[in-house]
Amino acid sequence: MKSSYLRASAALACAVVLTACGGDDGQLLLGGTISGVTRPGMVLTNNGGSDFEVPVPSNGTGVTQFSFPQLISSDDKYDVQVKSVPSNVNKDSCRYRYNTGRAGFNVVNIEISCAFKTQALGGTVSNLKGELVLINGSDRVIVPAGATTFTMAPVAQDAPYGVSILTNPANQSCTIANGVGTMGPADVNNVTVTCAP
Amino acid sequence: MKSSLIRPALALALAASLAACGGSDKAEFTVAGSVTGVVYDGLVLSNASVPLKVAPPTTAGAAVRFAFPDKLEYGDTYAVTVIANPLHQTCEPSVPDGGIYANNADTAGRLVSIDIAINCRINEYTVGGTITGLTGAGLVLANGSTGGTYTAETPKNPPATTPIAYELPPVKFGTTYGVTVSKQPAGQVCTVANPTGTMGDAKVQSANVTCVAA
Repeated sequence: MKSSYLRASAALACAVVLTACGGDDGQLLLGGTISGVTRPGMVLTNNGGSDFEVPVPSNGTGVTQFSFPQLISSDDKYDVQVKSVPSNVNKDSCRYRYNTGRAGFNVVNIEISCAFKTQALGGTVSNLKGELVLINGSDRVIVPAGATTFTMAPVAQDAPYGVSILTNPANQSCTIANGVGTMGPADVNNVTVTCAP
Repeated sequence: MKSSLIRPALALALAASLAACGGSDKAEFTVAGSVTGVVYDGLVLSNASVPLKVAPPTTAGAAVRFAFPDKLEYGDTYAVTVIANPLHQTCEPSVPDGGIYANNADTAGRLVSIDIAINCRINEYTVGGTITGLTGAGLVLANGSTGGTYTAETPKNPPATTPIAYELPPVKFGTTYGVTVSKQPAGQVCTVANPTGTMGDAKVQSANVTCVAA
């Protein structure tokens, strides 16, 4: 009686140990860093399978660490690719570093960077008699006297924009309408600058 | 007879090979390297209290080679440090391509040649100020499209009477900034004083926000 219990528990222990080291699952991480994730829909694959949607980071930067839930084994070949992207990202823009190789230890150094789709930002100027300097943060645009339109640098979808006046034209003061907003899926060309007198 | 010729020949060969290792031909090492990212004047490096000025490159963005005048012998140690930064910049020993550690200090002869990496970056400072009169929830400030955002905490009830200090992410020296109200708080309109400028050598703390009932 005693020995049969012993045997059963020994067999169970063996089974547990074997499961823990199980062949298919492996024990090594496969991951790295990815940028361009501000919306759901960023799906990665490894060797054409193991589809994994990268969770959206909460800090709004779009940059996050990722790790495939399915572990790989030592000596496994890996090839991580972007399968599909969120609606505000250009799939063709995705750049890869260290995304292919053969696992020696945990793989945590894959780098994938995908750029957001951008839209034009601009508008009209009226009554400008001197040189006006407009900025959108670090983007600086000089608008010459007599200009009736202006164009700022393109802005990523979902990014805020705020067109402000850095320098008014000599002897004039300008005001801006529609200068603040969040970039949507279409170009913004209704920023209106009015100068007086 | 035969053996008497071989012996002197051997002795000669031995003498010749010993001379090759002789003291007068000791290997010498130049403490040299390159600096990346220098834009402004003023960088001074030092090794063993010997200063060496490094000027910005003639082609913007190029690396600048440097070499200390004194040669080192095998086994001499060196430690290159930055003793004066360029204007508006901060320089530090950095990890060379393909390396793991900064290589500014070592022993001459451990590697075939000495090639130290130093990197300089433009100083950057935060943009901020105070927020006064905020009672509504949802205020978001932004610095253009790439300068980051600041989301104000929902005010307590009753709202604090002292102004709230805020900071937007750092902006590089010489770069413009423009603080705008990206999202107005519920029931209020906020305006920004001194919202625009070009970053100097200190943090901006004067982009003050005032909120009033809409």
